[in-house]
Amino acid sequence: MKRFAFLLLLIVGTCGLRAQSPDEGIPNSVNAATLVGAGRYNIMDTYLSPGSRVNYQGWALRVMDERMRFTRLADGHISRQHILQIDFSSLLNPAGTLREYAGFIDYTLGYHYHFRPAPSLTLLAGGGLHALVGGIYNMQSSNNPGSAKADLDLRLSGLALYRFHIKRLPLLLRLQVQVPFAGILFSPHYGQSYYEIFQLGNSSGVVKFASFHNKWALQTFATIDIPLPRLTIRTGFAGSLYHLKVNGIESHLNSCYFMLGIVKEFITVGGKRSRAGLNYRSAYE
Amino acid sequence: MNNFKKKTGRWLLGLCFAIGLIACEDTVEYTSSPRENFEALWQILDENYCFFEYKEVDWDEVHDRYEHQIVDTMDQFALFDVLGDMLAELKDGHTNLSSPFDMSRYWAWYEDYPDNFDEKILENYLGTDYRIAGGMRYRTLADEQVGYIYYPSFSSGVGETNLDYILYQFKDCMGLIIDIRNNGGGVLTYSDRIAARFIEGSLLTGYIQHKTGPGHDEFSEPYALTLAATEGHTLWYRPVIVLTNRQCYSSANDFVQAMRLLPQVRTMGDKTGGGSGFPYNSELPNGWLVRFSASRTLGVDYEQLEFGIEPDIPIAMKETDADAGKDTILETAIQLLLTAQGDPARLPAKK
Repeated sequence: MKRFAFLLLLIVGTCGLRAQSPDEGIPNSVNAATLVGAGRYNIMDTYLSPGSRVNYQGWALRVMDERMRFTRLADGHISRQHILQIDFSSLLNPAGTLREYAGFIDYTLGYHYHFRPAPSLTLLAGGGLHALVGGIYNMQSSNNPGSAKADLDLRLSGLALYRFHIKRLPLLLRLQVQVPFAGILFSPHYGQSYYEIFQLGNSSGVVKFASFHNKWALQTFATIDIPLPRLTIRTGFAGSLYHLKVNGIESHLNSCYFMLGIVKEFITVGGKRSRAGLNYRSAYE
Repeated sequence: MNNFKKKTGRWLLGLCFAIGLIACEDTVEYTSSPRENFEALWQILDENYCFFEYKEVDWDEVHDRYEHQIVDTMDQFALFDVLGDMLAELKDGHTNLSSPFDMSRYWAWYEDYPDNFDEKILENYLGTDYRIAGGMRYRTLADEQVGYIYYPSFSSGVGETNLDYILYQFKDCMGLIIDIRNNGGGVLTYSDRIAARFIEGSLLTGYIQHKTGPGHDEFSEPYALTLAATEGHTLWYRPVIVLTNRQCYSSANDFVQAMRLLPQVRTMGDKTGGGSGFPYNSELPNGWLVRFSASRTLGVDYEQLEFGIEPDIPIAMKETDADAGKDTILETAIQLLLTAQGDPARLPAKK
């Protein structure tokens, strides 16, 4: 994992890059995308099935809202990205006899420095703050039916935007990878009930420092923007790996979605700026 | 630029390979193999069951003994019976195997003992005009001098307001009987909620320990279980008698454990069935669900409560009384409360 983060920085740092230069007087737009996705989830959690690493699988739905705009940081070379994702999934055990439901809210606030190594390519390197809350509920269990997840981390983020044409249609490809490297998370202890934690108050050690020794996670986005006459469509894949080994409990949440949605550029126009016309500077190009 | 594209392509390939490696974890896949399901069940218990040492169960020896009964050609019904028998070695009412066609169980903790309870006879006392709140059936007995509550299950949600109304109904009574005979347990929260109405200040009721690893002796430090009086609600410090029998299990056992520590309370009837393990669920590769005791509750002197709690006043139902439609245990409790005249010090001494 460390190697991957290093490679990401290496790619950014060794390509003879030039920082993307801001154009004076042009307002920064907000690139806003709302997407819905359908895909697959697979979940294993030894808190829900102690002593047995049962992998539940099933369909999943996601709603994702993404916003990106340039800030004034580093002479306007740094952009801010918000990604909010809400997931819901329904899963079955391998035998098809037991059902689980899972739901998560996932938010990332990221900052990226922009480089333009080639006219058609923009590379963004940075990091961000990420939060995840949610849980898994097993319909048949009695005293350990649920496994709650609460996680706050710092992460590295790399993003590539590549502009190209198919015939006369201009397309924009985005590849993004996020890797957390440090944070805190909630986990009960091996064999400890939520009754003991929350009702009896024995919560010692249930919030842990998390890094590569006990957490391995990765979020990826591979999307393409397709401009149509009246709107721009964004479609592609979103993948996530989230593996924990904390307090003697192992779990993983792996998902892959096909996403589809629309993209719009928003600019705030008022006062003298209203005479500047419709020209704007997008962080997503 | 071409060089850059090649480099980027290589790294993306490497990344995909890394993701693939991570995704390929060792997880349980579906199998109906009798041997694999036997091993999975044995291992789940081996790593998580909390009473091996206390019950002196040699789980390795159990494995070897039952392994010989597993054959690849046996059908699921035969496999279920063998696995159910293996679980019964633990003598634990919280341990079950559930399949779509059956649930194995160990119920000898009450099946081998007298009932000491008859719901038909109880109707002679409750009548038909009793009240029901929060799963509790209640009324006054003995010319409204004694309050009586029958609570058949701790799964029935009883709220603070329910308890306020019930105790208010008994405001003029000299004593109270809480009958939890045949109460097989339920939700610990309700057990705590009811017991908290009889506590002055706070009370240490015992300790809880969870497993900290797969070893049979790996446990957390005992964590104190304390209950505090429910502030702002009706509390009861007059004499109380809790009626018990062998079918008082799990949360009912916890309730008795808390109540017996209080100065104004006496427990009466037969020993409880026990069940001090906090059960967890897991599952086998064929989808069968297994429940087992995963963490344990201890008494205030760190004593085990898994096999039940002796009553302060042992008493059994007499056949002659039963034939006459009388409940010996309930009759005796009424007499003791009438004799005490609202003074806990006049109740028989605690055991």
